[in-house]
Amino acid sequence: MVYKTKKKTLSFQDTIFNLQKYWSKKGCVILQPYDIEVGAGTFHPATTLRSLGPKPWKTAYVQPSRRPTDGRYGDNPNRLQHYYQFQVLIKPSPKEIKKMYLNSLSSIGINYEEHDIRFVEDDWESPTLGAAGLGWEVWCDGMEVTQFTYFQQMAGVECKPVSVEITYGLERLCMFIQNKKSVFDLIWNDEGITYKDVFHKSEKEFSAYNFEYANTDNLFKIFEMLEEETKLLVEKKISLPAYDQCLKCSHVFNILDARGVISVAQRAEYIARIRELTKSIGKVWIESQS
Amino acid sequence: MSELFVELFSEEIPAKLQINARNELKKNIKNFLIDSQIKFNENFNVYSTPNRLVLHVDKIPNEIKLNSEEIRGPNVNAPEKALEGFIRSNNTTLEKIFKKSTEKGEFYFFKKESRKIKVSDLLEKNLSEILTKITWNKSMKWANYDLYWGRPLKSILAIFNKKPLNFVFNHINSSNKTFTDKSLEEGLKIFNNFNSYIKFFKQKGILIDQDLRKKIIQNKINEIINKKNLKIEQNERLIDEIVNIVEKPAVIICDFDKKFLNVPSEILITTMQSHQKYLPTFDKKNNLTNNFFVVSDIKDTKGFVKLGNERVIEARLSDAEFFWEKNKTQNLVKQVDKLKNINYFKGLGSYFDKIQRMRKLSSLISDDFLISKDKIEIASSICKVDLMSDLVGEFPELQGIVGGHFAKFQGFDKEVCLAVSEQYLPNGMESKLPKKMYSVALSLSDKLDSLVGFFGINLKPSSSKDPYAIRRMAISLVRLIVENETKIKLKDLIVYTCSAYRDQGYDFDTKKIQNELSDFIIERLKNYLKEKKIRQDIIESSTFLLGLDDLLKAYKKSLCLNKNIKKEIGFETIAVYKRSSNILNTEEKISIETLGFADPGLFKNDYEKKLYKKINDIRKYFLSTGKDENYEESLKILSSIKNEVNDFFDNVIVNDEDIIIKKNRLELLNMLCKTFDNYFNFSKIEA
Repeated sequence: MVYKTKKKTLSFQDTIFNLQKYWSKKGCVILQPYDIEVGAGTFHPATTLRSLGPKPWKTAYVQPSRRPTDGRYGDNPNRLQHYYQFQVLIKPSPKEIKKMYLNSLSSIGINYEEHDIRFVEDDWESPTLGAAGLGWEVWCDGMEVTQFTYFQQMAGVECKPVSVEITYGLERLCMFIQNKKSVFDLIWNDEGITYKDVFHKSEKEFSAYNFEYANTDNLFKIFEMLEEETKLLVEKKISLPAYDQCLKCSHVFNILDARGVISVAQRAEYIARIRELTKSIGKVWIESQS
Repeated sequence: MSELFVELFSEEIPAKLQINARNELKKNIKNFLIDSQIKFNENFNVYSTPNRLVLHVDKIPNEIKLNSEEIRGPNVNAPEKALEGFIRSNNTTLEKIFKKSTEKGEFYFFKKESRKIKVSDLLEKNLSEILTKITWNKSMKWANYDLYWGRPLKSILAIFNKKPLNFVFNHINSSNKTFTDKSLEEGLKIFNNFNSYIKFFKQKGILIDQDLRKKIIQNKINEIINKKNLKIEQNERLIDEIVNIVEKPAVIICDFDKKFLNVPSEILITTMQSHQKYLPTFDKKNNLTNNFFVVSDIKDTKGFVKLGNERVIEARLSDAEFFWEKNKTQNLVKQVDKLKNINYFKGLGSYFDKIQRMRKLSSLISDDFLISKDKIEIASSICKVDLMSDLVGEFPELQGIVGGHFAKFQGFDKEVCLAVSEQYLPNGMESKLPKKMYSVALSLSDKLDSLVGFFGINLKPSSSKDPYAIRRMAISLVRLIVENETKIKLKDLIVYTCSAYRDQGYDFDTKKIQNELSDFIIERLKNYLKEKKIRQDIIESSTFLLGLDDLLKAYKKSLCLNKNIKKEIGFETIAVYKRSSNILNTEEKISIETLGFADPGLFKNDYEKKLYKKINDIRKYFLSTGKDENYEESLKILSSIKNEVNDFFDNVIVNDEDIIIKKNRLELLNMLCKTFDNYFNFSKIEA
């Protein structure tokens, strides 16, 4: 197949298309974004739950990721409270995964032989998911463009077999490819639409919501309700709906955190509560897998 | 004579793990060769790149001779099955088995004849286990395999005497091939000796030998800085890390916009060093410049690498600059109240509570230090405000330093700014030590407050776990006191800190905290002295029955004796003491109660009188020296009693028939030992 060449700068959407085509060729199930707010592509059940249990699995998808505390009202050229990750998950991790990854860079116009590609130690941990992995962040000429992780534990359970997760930061990657200093200057498509046109207003408004207007009293109540719902669904042994409620809990917690109404001590407690939910869901999921 | 050459090819292993794996592999192979009585060149080396861990040992014989030996089998009374098993496992027949009596009873034996063994056979049999013995600080599994390794292990090349060694290590079969392309894990190639391997990679610009990489990087950097009249900081840890994350290093000098030099240099340096592994440069006056080094893993033929890295640092620095500009004008004093919302530690209140306690404590310390109470109270009040800034959020390692810059920008007194900046120093054994009194006072009150707090809520470190780095805190406290010769009453300060907690409503058991903390700090002093290479027996003596207020004295005395122990004043002091105390130790068992003084009226000769006089002279010396005691002088005075003691022992028999005379002489010796206790208790010193 023919990928767009470097002559024409690859737009944001073409970058996504090319990655999807590339990983599709490698046998991945190409999924669409999960329809609940999450902090990272890892939270998509196609990664968290599917990485548990013995069944092989290959998938790739774009996931909008929300990090309320990272919002800057659209004023900072490098930070967003909503951005895109391109996520690949393969279980068991294939032998030639590094080659596959480096070739995927070629598919979006980065020739790994012309750049200083470095695999820099970066061990990953998600306290809310009860997950941990070993791997690297991949640097391209000093810029972090990808997270590359071998899952060792998920939902408090040891991974067997081990999955490999590749997470491309799409905005960063495109800023590199398009040689832009601000994320808002990224070219979205060949019609001249920019990232700013698509997302600037949303960054501004959501920053205001996350930092100023979110009704914290209600959110605290919602958290309790969602937690209760999750526990109930776990009892009923339906893991996927339970996991949805748990994801919502996690997002509510993130907004409360951004509003600055959670003290350090409380923070640890909330994280532990979400982790307990994830663990109990993981257990139900695994039982259903064997 | 042959060479052993092994290469373990894996995905990129982090620098620290690599260094550790090199050491482990070296140790394990060495132990194996020694245990197997195989001779080898002891100057061998283990090399590594991120992907290759390479062992090369030469001058190994191809065969070793094993002497004949008698192998003990089962007891003669054991069931027949045991004997059959023994025969089978030794690959022999019943005729060759004989009985023999030993201390433990009668056993079957088999005599193994002397024989020659091929080293290659031994290696094939044992290499797998040698590799298994490598311990990783952090290791992982991948795919479906059960092997734990630093990162996924892909292939093993093993050669002895130019021929492949065949063994299985978990799921991997060794061979004589390796991947020459580390990126795509392609280009399988056969190697049958180390030299051709090294040469092959050298032609591709890849240096397997880490020391060589280091030399090349350093030479290139030196060449550039000499030309440009620059300097770099000698940062061994960073250089060693860089050396171990590249295989074909290319040094590139880059620069960033000079406008960023307005941001405090610590922020710029941290961004470059810990985030990007760049080496910042300084001019001859030690000012940071806008030039920095990138060590790339490829030759930057098209200039992409330089451009990319410059863009990255630009983005990172503008982020830092943005926060600096925003935070520096936020009034420190006005923000103090907001610390009420920031938890210091669960069970120990907010940071606002903490600075209230620190303020009281530092103000008390200021009396001892003769420094301004007002200034140290201001420093205590504002010292934690920077924790709420975006900058510390971004650069947690710069807490304090950032606060010091805010304070400076807002026109606070110079000494206050420095104290805020240095409040966390020292941080352990190696770290920089603050010297200015305001800094010392603030750091002391921060550490004392934490130590008392953690002991108060019973979070003392256990023998294996110390999650809050409390030991390091206490060692830092010890360093502040002994290295700065700080004269403070630590015991009172602990009591006072407890009362500061009690004033805030904490139910702390002062007595308990005081006792436990006191033991804990003295243990740290012992560790500290050990690190300073003081002899263990001297450490024990100097800390015997030590009070908390005498840390400095104990430190100085042990340092002084350690230095002089082989010299006359040290050696003689100990000899004299030992000679006297040995007699007392044997005699005292015969139960003579000592009064603590001898009666001059009972002296029978001049030797006793002279010794008595000398002891009293020395006592006078110790009475008069007090605070300004010169410990070397004290040792000199103690050792000067040598002649009197020798004359006494040469001419006087302690064990006189008259029990009263005998007792008086023992009293005299007891007086002598007691006098020596003015230095410290020498009884634990090994002669």
